[in-house]
Amino acid sequence: MTTETNTVASLDIGEAPASGRAGFFSRLRDVRQVCRQIFGMPDYERYLAHAAAHHPGRPVLSRSAYCAQAIEHKYGKGGQRCC
Amino acid sequence: MNKLVSVALWPLIAIVGAFSFAALALGRGEHVSAVWLVTAALCVYFIAYRFYSRFIANKVLRLDDTRVTPAERHNDGMDYVPTNKYVLYGHHFAAIAGAGPLVGPVLAAQMGFLPGTLWILVGVVLAGAVQDFIVLFASVRRDGKSLGEMIKMELGSAAGSIAMVGILAIMIIILAVLSLVVVKALADSPWGLFTIAATIPIALIMGVYMRMVRPGRVGEASVIGVVLLMSALIYGQTVANDPVWGPFFTWHGTQLAWAIIIYGAVASSLPVWLMLAPRDYLSTFLKIGTIVALAIGIYYVAPPLAMPATTRFIDGSGPVFSGSLFPFLFITIACGSVSGFHALISSGTTPKMVEKESHMRLIGFGGMLTESFVAIMALTAASVLDPGIYFAMNSPSAVIGTTAANAAQVISSWGFTITPEMLSQTAVDIGENSILSRTGGAPTLAVGMAQILGQAVGGKSMEAFWYHFAILFEALFILTAVDAGTRVGRFMIQDMMGHLYRPMGDTEFLPANLVGTGLCVALWGYFLYQGVIDPLGGINTLWQLFGVGNQMLAGIALLLCTSVLVKMKRERYVWVTLVPTVWLLITTLTAGVQKVFSSDPRVGFIALARKFSTAAAEGKVLAPAKSIEEMQRVAFNNYLDAVVCGVFVLLVLAMCVFTLKICRQALRQALPTAQEIPPTANVQGAT
Repeated sequence: MTTETNTVASLDIGEAPASGRAGFFSRLRDVRQVCRQIFGMPDYERYLAHAAAHHPGRPVLSRSAYCAQAIEHKYGKGGQRCC
Repeated sequence: MNKLVSVALWPLIAIVGAFSFAALALGRGEHVSAVWLVTAALCVYFIAYRFYSRFIANKVLRLDDTRVTPAERHNDGMDYVPTNKYVLYGHHFAAIAGAGPLVGPVLAAQMGFLPGTLWILVGVVLAGAVQDFIVLFASVRRDGKSLGEMIKMELGSAAGSIAMVGILAIMIIILAVLSLVVVKALADSPWGLFTIAATIPIALIMGVYMRMVRPGRVGEASVIGVVLLMSALIYGQTVANDPVWGPFFTWHGTQLAWAIIIYGAVASSLPVWLMLAPRDYLSTFLKIGTIVALAIGIYYVAPPLAMPATTRFIDGSGPVFSGSLFPFLFITIACGSVSGFHALISSGTTPKMVEKESHMRLIGFGGMLTESFVAIMALTAASVLDPGIYFAMNSPSAVIGTTAANAAQVISSWGFTITPEMLSQTAVDIGENSILSRTGGAPTLAVGMAQILGQAVGGKSMEAFWYHFAILFEALFILTAVDAGTRVGRFMIQDMMGHLYRPMGDTEFLPANLVGTGLCVALWGYFLYQGVIDPLGGINTLWQLFGVGNQMLAGIALLLCTSVLVKMKRERYVWVTLVPTVWLLITTLTAGVQKVFSSDPRVGFIALARKFSTAAAEGKVLAPAKSIEEMQRVAFNNYLDAVVCGVFVLLVLAMCVFTLKICRQALRQALPTAQEIPPTANVQGAT
């Protein structure tokens, strides 16, 4: 399992970017996060941010456990989709 | 400053829109550029969004950002997640956009591009977007409840049960007709079939990768999947031309029908991470990518509209579907104008992710406008084709025969001049054996897209690639829908059977699951198989049955919206939902009754069934049937279709009665009686 820290990637698109390389990478992370959410993929970083904000100190799911659970939730009952 | 921009901007958009419509309306006798059509549509969308959706948000619904949404109330980081407005708009759009807005407008193009365009634009602004927006609103105010649950809450449990039966019936017809579209697109097309078949192992590789090799790395798996998918698409041409593998991947309609039925049963029984989820990601990438590419392509290439504004077939004698403009145009184009199925999505996952009530305007109303834009582009792609090619692809072989010479002669006699050489050359250009009677809309759209994208990138030599790219894109998300839809259908069937015999409702009980899946697949499989072997073509029967069902579901959803407005004591604004409800009821009930009882055998199911059964009893074989058994099958299936259509009509009439009763009660009350979550409900905190 990975040992990522709780990165609270902001989704505020209008936010002023940080400068230089760090700014580029944080932008890239934002783009990836937006894509994940639009395509309905599990977003582990967002989950970590949620856990840090709402349940500080409590244990969190590992990346693989979270993703497995999120996919099961989304598609378990068939998932909704249009004609 | 903002005000100044607004004062200048909106009249400008109105003028551009009016100018585009003028170009469409006045351009008689010469070909009008498709850019005018698309621009006119965009201007209508912008104006409708800015003014009408704002009116609905502020006056009719009175959206209130101080109210706690379900996403905030339950915020669990899993299902209930407050989501950025623009991201959720994209997510919602990806969930509602499917094959519907692509197929209906293509079929409707037989009446010319104008009737379809007008119905798509008027329908979406006054009916479709309103429905999606208000259902989303109602669900958010009811803690994210589904359409069926809301009908039960607001209209009573009898109405809820009737609606559930209707939803299941429509679902079965949708799965059948979508599968039929795939069968018609892949029959005798080795390149197409190879590419679609390749998506199965590709999805399995992705599933295993993100579950076992690099757990949770969905993005990496997706990149691998897309690369493999494009390789399969390119390699497909080599496979199709191979003396051994080419014939191996050349399948007939009935073989494909069985393959899809078996696929549906197996795929919907596999764990979701193995196939459904990875394929859904692939199909969503392709879907969004293709739609964006098509929009850019239309503006870049600016192709002329070859189809006339109206054709002689508005009288109902058309070969693609029979029945006159009223009411049949309004059920042929369902998704894109108004789609009842969206009411299920708008009361599904989306309301659980809405962060603030005011966001629903963009997500619900704006999302549906975007879907409508897809329908306009599909109509454009069909209308830039030479009308002769269009009719050759969409007329059943019973009408135009099976040879290019015969087809060219029949179609030219309708006034759409075409030569046999043009028909064979088009087939060669797109890398197929024949383009005759490739009904179902998908191949037509693919040829239109191939011509537009081919002119933008790669020229004639790339048309075959673009054609198969478009077929892949459509077939992939239809097959994903078949997988997911079969699961949903199974849960609904088990839920209903559970009321009769409790263990059958247990979704953890394997025998019950197998029975549910088997029953669901058997139901849609039956209609699919009947459509494939139907000597009269299949699509023109099933698509109309689907249209009637889907529009009736929209009617039911709008009846719910109407009762919600009345119960909120907003009866002053009830026309916002009442006008589209009445229009939908008029068109669908007229269409439904005509489909059952019309004495014209080209329109009425019973008339056609009688014609065939009478002839069969006299020992006569009517073309295109080849034997007495085929005659009897046509008769039986038409009686069955009449029953299904009749059931839809009765369901809707019952819902009208329930709604009237509830609305009359609510009008007598002085205070609102809608069952909303109170605005003061606390944030319960995350679980």
